[in-house]
Amino acid sequence: MHHRPAVEVSDLYYAYPDGTPALRGVNLVVEEGESVGIVGPNGAGKSTLLLHLNGILSGRGEVKIFGLPVARENLREIRRRVGLVFQDPDDQLFSPTVFDDVAFGPLNMGLSREEVAEAVNRALREVGLAGLERKSAFHLSFGQKKRAAIATVLSMNPDLLVLDEPSSNLDPRARRELSELLQGMRITKIVVTHDLPFVFENCERVVVMDQGRVVADGEVFSILSDEELLREHGLELPYGFYPFHRERSGRKTERNPES
Amino acid sequence: MKHAFLDEYSHLESPVHRLDPRAKLLAFVVLIVVCVTTPPHLYSAFAAYLGLEVALVLLSRLPWKHVLKRLLVVLPFILVVAAFVPFFSRGGGSYNLGPVKVSAHGLMVLWNVAAKSTVSVLAVILLSSTTPFPDLLRGMERMKVPRLLTSLLSFTYRYIFVLVDEAQRMKRARDSRGWSGKWIWQAKVIGHMIASLFLRSYERGERVYAAMLARGYGGRVRTMCLYHPGIPEVGFTSLVVLFPLAARLLA
Repeated sequence: MHHRPAVEVSDLYYAYPDGTPALRGVNLVVEEGESVGIVGPNGAGKSTLLLHLNGILSGRGEVKIFGLPVARENLREIRRRVGLVFQDPDDQLFSPTVFDDVAFGPLNMGLSREEVAEAVNRALREVGLAGLERKSAFHLSFGQKKRAAIATVLSMNPDLLVLDEPSSNLDPRARRELSELLQGMRITKIVVTHDLPFVFENCERVVVMDQGRVVADGEVFSILSDEELLREHGLELPYGFYPFHRERSGRKTERNPES
Repeated sequence: MKHAFLDEYSHLESPVHRLDPRAKLLAFVVLIVVCVTTPPHLYSAFAAYLGLEVALVLLSRLPWKHVLKRLLVVLPFILVVAAFVPFFSRGGGSYNLGPVKVSAHGLMVLWNVAAKSTVSVLAVILLSSTTPFPDLLRGMERMKVPRLLTSLLSFTYRYIFVLVDEAQRMKRARDSRGWSGKWIWQAKVIGHMIASLFLRSYERGERVYAAMLARGYGGRVRTMCLYHPGIPEVGFTSLVVLFPLAARLLA
């Protein structure tokens, strides 16, 4: 069969209603099974790009998800396949209980009552929140809210998980738990963040965006050790963090630290 | 931050808590309608309504302190207005209470308002303290209350405290910068805060809507109902509906 990447964005332009350009010709291909970090300064267009992946926004240019063009007639299927997790979990968790929130997607997909219950249980177990179904999102800790927000898209059984600033506002333990959760999931992932160590831990590939364009795209180690590139685009590694220390996260290194 | 929740104690274990929310909703609405339409001179009917509610509070194991506290939150507003009626109303006979005159007709109005509002507010407290709010919403949906209304209530329940927290954070940030609220020109600041709270809520609304679209929302909120009405529901509803009706007709 014809080879189909998970995401194909070509020549995407988008300007906000007030005329401010946000995307100026973005080209990006993400293969199935990849885990890609998108980094860049504030206002680079990262979040705007994410909103194009499931047709919330639509600009000039082409976006294809698993070969399907993002167009009105495909929106249902695309929104099922693309699980978009927003930055603020309070935006994503709008139902009176956690159960209702996680069931929202599957119910919209028209699943039967048993299938919905099954999907909700599976998603909550996967993010480690089984037993909190009847709680209101307001009673959850921030880390739990974040994981509940991820469960709300996992219940739709997506093929591509898209996360906007997943590690923001998390305490170190919640951040590590999120990392472990993501690494345990085998689906294609796109993570937009300013948290470079988080990208280093969870992504094999990094895309750098600035002023509405992709300015660099490559293997995580080579991009994050290119200090000049990072500085040029408003990115800096946190004090004391060097990509050479990758082994400490307990993952295999693809590259010899001495090279 | 901690807030007093609308449906505090709604997760207790009791025969009343276990009932289908629809049964409770129907029963209490009927009780309120029957009570409000009762002529005020049927004292024994009011005694029966109150007695029924006291029995239900006992049956549902709600702490009395909680029930009275809730009652005290709502009742004064109603009573403060009604308390003046006997002094200004004319008609009926009148009694002399020291230097002031009290009209009998006015006293009847006060009694009418006090009795009916107490019974009605107690009914609402019983309903909201024995039914988790989300279940109540589901019950309303199943009883064909318009979706627009239930969605509105549902979003309010979910976001009211998020909004309160946001306002509280703004207030702290304002006070941390030396705001005293003493001068008339500082009133402008409050206006700005309200405007900015409104804008933030508006923007949040857009983000929430985007999050709904992202999960396939197409204009209809779908929910699941987990209750099946049975014998306890029929029994409860008949009791709460028929007993007051009988009390009123026989009084």
